[in-house]
Amino acid sequence: MHPLFAHRKWVALYLIGWLLGGVLLALFFTMLRPRPLLHAMEFAIPLNLIFGFVALSAWWVCRSNPLSGPRPVRIFTTQMLAALQVSAAWFVAASLWGVVMARAVSETVSRAEILQDAGTLFVLGMPLYLVSAVVHYLVIGFEASHAAERRILQSDVSAREAELRALRAQLDPHFLFNSLNSINALVGSDPEGARRMCERLGDFMRRTLALGAKDEVPLAEELALVDRYLEIEQVRFGDRLQIMREIDPATAACMVPPLLLQPLVENAVKHGVARRVEGGCIRIAAHRANGRVGIVVENPVDPDAPPKRGQGVGLENVRRRLEAYRGRETHLEAWLEGTRFRVEVTLPAGELPPAVEKEKAS
Amino acid sequence: MTAPLLRALIVDDELPACALMREYLGAEPGIEIVGECANGFEAVKAIGELQPDLVFLDVQMPKLDGFEVLDLLDDRPAVVFCTAYDEFAIRAFEVHAVDYLLKPFGRERLREALTRVRERLAASEAGSAPAAPSASELATSARAPGQHLERVLLRDGSQVHVVPVDKLDYLEAQDDYVEVHSEGRSWLKHQTLADLEAALDPSRFVRVHRSFVVNVERIARIELAAKDNRVAILRDGRELPVSRAGYARLKELL
Repeated sequence: MHPLFAHRKWVALYLIGWLLGGVLLALFFTMLRPRPLLHAMEFAIPLNLIFGFVALSAWWVCRSNPLSGPRPVRIFTTQMLAALQVSAAWFVAASLWGVVMARAVSETVSRAEILQDAGTLFVLGMPLYLVSAVVHYLVIGFEASHAAERRILQSDVSAREAELRALRAQLDPHFLFNSLNSINALVGSDPEGARRMCERLGDFMRRTLALGAKDEVPLAEELALVDRYLEIEQVRFGDRLQIMREIDPATAACMVPPLLLQPLVENAVKHGVARRVEGGCIRIAAHRANGRVGIVVENPVDPDAPPKRGQGVGLENVRRRLEAYRGRETHLEAWLEGTRFRVEVTLPAGELPPAVEKEKAS
Repeated sequence: MTAPLLRALIVDDELPACALMREYLGAEPGIEIVGECANGFEAVKAIGELQPDLVFLDVQMPKLDGFEVLDLLDDRPAVVFCTAYDEFAIRAFEVHAVDYLLKPFGRERLREALTRVRERLAASEAGSAPAAPSASELATSARAPGQHLERVLLRDGSQVHVVPVDKLDYLEAQDDYVEVHSEGRSWLKHQTLADLEAALDPSRFVRVHRSFVVNVERIARIELAAKDNRVAILRDGRELPVSRAGYARLKELL
C-alpha cells in the first residue's frame, strides 16, 4: 500500500494539488490553442487527476529499484521506461477523452487538434513522472533514516535493559544463600534475630530493585542500601567485619548512579574481610569539595591470598556505569596501598533541584 | 545395634554456620563434635591432632580453601563439603568427598549425608571403599580447571606454609617427595616431581633434568661444564645439572 493512503488528509491534499494543477494545465491549453477556458478545464482536470494516481506507481518502481542498488544505469533505464509507459497511457487516455469531449460538445474539433493536445500531455508526462520518482526516492530515504533512528533508540533501550539485567545478576546469589543459612541458624538459637534478619534481607532486596530502576539516586539512599547490606553481612561474619563511616553530610543529596557503592562494598567484604582470618575494618568515606563528590571504599586484604577471578569484574562494571552516567566527568581509581585496597570514585556534585524532587515524589 | 560413634569436626569461617551445624549434630545420636575451626590453617592442624572420622568442610575460607586443606592431609577423614556455591560440586566428588551440602540445608539433608558417611566408613572397614585419591588427583583438584597453580602448600609438622609460585627457586625430586626450594629454605612435599611440575605454568617452570624443575626467572646463566654437560647457575649461585633434553626445553622457551 502506498504510504499516501495511510491518512485521509494526505489523500485530500494530494487531490487538491492535482486539481489546481489541472486548472493550470487548462490555462496552458487555452494559450496553446484558443478555446473556452471551461472546455479546457473539462478536458484537463479529469486527465490530470488520473495522472495524479498513475504517478503514484513510481512508489513501487522506486522501491524495487533502490538507489543503493548496484547498477545506476539499470535504475535509470527502468525509470525512463516507466515514464514512457505512463506518458503513453496518458496519451491514450487523453485521445479517448478528447474524442468523447468533441462528441459531447458539438464543437468542431479536428482529429489533428485532439492528437496535438494528447501529444502535449505525452511530452509533459515524462518529466512529471520523473519528478514523482525523485519525490518518492526522497520519501523512501527519509523513511529509512527515520527507521534507522528508531533502531538506534531501540538498541539504546535494550542496552539499558541489558545493563539492568547485568546489575541484578551482579547481586551475588550466594549472598542470598549464605544469608538464608544464617537465618536458618538463628531460628534455633535466636528466633527474634532470625526475624530481624528476614526483615533486613527483604528490605535490602526491595531497595536494590527500587534503586536499580532509577537513573540516579541521592548518595544517602545508596548509603542506606549499603548499611542494610553490611548489617546482614555482620550477622555472618560477627566481629570480623568492622565498619568505619566518614560521611560528609553535605554529600547526602548529591546524585549518583544507583548501585554504585553497593558492589564496591560487596567486593570489600568478599575479597577483603572474608579472606582474612582476623577480618578487618572497611572504611566508607564521602566528602565534597570544589563542586565534586569523592567516595572512598577501603578494605584490608590478605597479602598471601592469590588474586581470585571475578574480583575485577565488579570494579569494571562500576567503571562502565560511571562512564555511561557522566562520561569523563567521573573518575574511578583502585589501588593497593600496603595491605589496604582502596577504591576512589569522584563525580560532579549535582543535586536534584527541590522542585524536581517534589515532582518525582508525587 | 547402635551405630558406632562418629567423631566430627566442623570447619566454617562463619559463626552462624558453625552454630547451625552444632545444633543439627547435637540432636543426632552417635555423633561427637570434637572441634570447630574457623579457617583452613586451623583445620589442617586440628585434623592432624584430633584425627576425626568426619569433617564438615566449608570451601571458601581465609588462608586455605577447603580443597587446599585436603591437599595438605596425609590421612583423610570422610569429608562432607558445606558451601553456598554449587560450582565446586564436581571438584568435590573428584576428591572423593562423601557428600556436598548446599547452604541453606535442613536436618533431613544432613541426616542423608550422615547415612552416606556411615556407609562409606563401613565399606572402607570392609575394604571395599573406593581408593583414596592420589596426591596428583588432589593437586589437580586443588586448583580450578584450566588454571596453573598459583601457590604451593607445604606442611611442616602442624605448620602450614604457603609459597606463591613466583617465590619458588627450584624443585628437586626425592623419591616419592619433592624438595621445594624457596628463598634459601626448603621443604619436603609428599608428591612426585612430575605431578607438581604438571600443575605449574610450563612457561615459567622447566624440567632441566630428570630430578630438577627450575623457575626460569631464577636462572642467571647456563655454562658448559664438560662436553655435553651443562649446568644452570641460579641468581643465588646454586648450580643445577642440565640434561641434553632439559637444555633443548630451555632453549625452546628462552
